Amino acid sequence: MDDLFPSELKTRLEQVGQADIVVGIPSYNNAGTIGHVVRAVSVGLAKYFPDYRSAIVNSDGGSKDKTQEVVLSAEAGRDELLLVSHPLNASQRISTPYHGVPGKGSAFRTIFAVASRLKAKACVVVDSDLRSITPGWVELLAQPILKHDYDYIAPYYHRHKYDGTITNGIIYPMTRTLYGKSVRQPIGGEFGVSGRLGARYLEKEVWDTDVARFGIDIWMTVTAIAEGFRVGQAYLGAKLHDAKDPGADLTSMFRQVVGSFFSLMESYESVWKNVHGCEAVPMFGFPFEVGVEPLSVNTDRMMHALQQGVNDLEEIYRSFLSPSTLLDLTNFVHRNGQGFHLPDELWVRMIYEAAAAFHHRQLDRDHLLQSLVPLYLGRTASFVLEVKDSDAPQVEERIEQLCQVFEAEKSYLAQQWDPAGKEAVHAQPA
Amino acid sequence: MRSLLERMFVDPFNRLADEFARVVPVVVMVLVTLIVGGFIAYVARWLTYRFLQLARFDRLVQQTGFAHMIERTGVFRSASDLGARFVQAVVWLFVILFALSAAGTPSTVGLVSRFVEYVPNLIVAGLVLLLGVLASRMASRSALLAAVNAQWPGARLIAGGVRTVVMTLAIVIALEQLHIGNVPLLVAFAIVFAGIVFALAVAFGLGARDLARQWLEAKIRASHAEEEIFRHL
Repeated sequence: MDDLFPSELKTRLEQVGQADIVVGIPSYNNAGTIGHVVRAVSVGLAKYFPDYRSAIVNSDGGSKDKTQEVVLSAEAGRDELLLVSHPLNASQRISTPYHGVPGKGSAFRTIFAVASRLKAKACVVVDSDLRSITPGWVELLAQPILKHDYDYIAPYYHRHKYDGTITNGIIYPMTRTLYGKSVRQPIGGEFGVSGRLGARYLEKEVWDTDVARFGIDIWMTVTAIAEGFRVGQAYLGAKLHDAKDPGADLTSMFRQVVGSFFSLMESYESVWKNVHGCEAVPMFGFPFEVGVEPLSVNTDRMMHALQQGVNDLEEIYRSFLSPSTLLDLTNFVHRNGQGFHLPDELWVRMIYEAAAAFHHRQLDRDHLLQSLVPLYLGRTASFVLEVKDSDAPQVEERIEQLCQVFEAEKSYLAQQWDPAGKEAVHAQPA
Repeated sequence: MRSLLERMFVDPFNRLADEFARVVPVVVMVLVTLIVGGFIAYVARWLTYRFLQLARFDRLVQQTGFAHMIERTGVFRSASDLGARFVQAVVWLFVILFALSAAGTPSTVGLVSRFVEYVPNLIVAGLVLLLGVLASRMASRSALLAAVNAQWPGARLIAGGVRTVVMTLAIVIALEQLHIGNVPLLVAFAIVFAGIVFALAVAFGLGARDLARQWLEAKIRASHAEEEIFRHL
């Protein structure tokens, strides 16, 4: 693990010695926003955890815009007006470049390694581009771990109804169906982990794979649930942050997230096959209504993506979708003038058959995942059109309906997962 | 008189008989080798076919996507059929070499020896072609998926182009390995390839200026639309 630490960091860690709470902030060219995040975290630590020793760790991916200097120089200054008492221990600041494959995962790994070295009881991670972070976020993500013995705290944000469609359409329904815990935002970005869970993460051999990029959030959530750690959620209000990472194109993001999830299904096959039903996950914090940023969605472009996908990728789809599913998909795409609504049952079958094909290595895994992107865009367009006039509770109700279809069809997934069962399904005429 | 008759008729006849006595067994042996070899090749094909059927080879090939291509040739019934016929052809090749070697004439021995020396080239060329098929398939599928996900029109055309280029390159390398064509082939390939690229550039730049402008505008609009889009995660 010491290989992860440059010599300056080792020296700094020796100076710090020990910390009860470590707050990690991964960054890459975030000089414009990270100062606000560091100040909010500093005040949060001073206000809610004055008796604890704490450290703020910035794990940087080689920023060229003086992000690291901003972290070290951000002043709490007038934020002290927020404090009713002065903290016994001022939080320490550490800023270090991370090593490994470029991406969030490598940044997290360095943060967990630092937390482990400092023997931290809780480690909280927040994004460096947040504009809506408040000092309260630190409390909400760390308190359940320090005071209630939780191991993993996932964030719960109030989001726009069109936002987070990979989460709402695939990851959330599948996480709760497979692992039986209703973690509403399993790929949220912010989270809190206990010292023991952080140490467990470090033992895993995933840090040089795709998981270490966009797949890291879902990997952490599923690992925590599947390995029996105590999982909770914290209501953080709205998440407002800078425009998305320009290097993050949809295809690679989708491939990494969904690919990581499918890989985890192989790792935890014995777990999900024995899970029945789903239970609620405790929520910390006080839910309140917040305004969210307006979003524009080009559904025509998404529908066109689906049509082009079905026309051009038919040979690929034929290699992993069952004849009846492919026929339903083709009929759906070629049906004109009857509204654009992709039935949940068809969507769920496509995802389950893709997961099984990923498991059976029916075709190159990258190609399989990339071929799902047009289907995902089509499903997203269908969802957006469907909830166009719905309010937030109605949208949640709609997502709940989808989850129930995922749960009802779980036996179909198990059948597909089994080679003999899959053969039987694929041998049936359309 | 007797000596003259012997020299005129008996001696040539004897020589002919000697020649026959020397050649006929060889011919018979070659024929027997070919007949028995043909039978062995047929049995090898039959056994290979059964074995591949039992091993579910067709299903395996179907998963790689090659099955469709094999069926489309119209020559082979299935991947197992192709495999079995390949084994039969290899056995036939050995049988013919054995028969030629058994003939023992300077020309057949020379032919066999030249062929044996040529075998490594054949193997390398075969491997190059096999790799070419696999690489062209992989590359064309990657290109197809990238083009579809970028919503480019003519995605299949792009994929077909990628496959053709990779396959042509593999064929040129294989032929070069077999010492067929060599420099003229390479030059021809370079000229044709450069010609295609130039023709496409001219066609797109001059003949389809409007299309080029519309396409670029659409791309720019699309990238702006992408910026407006919501977060997927």
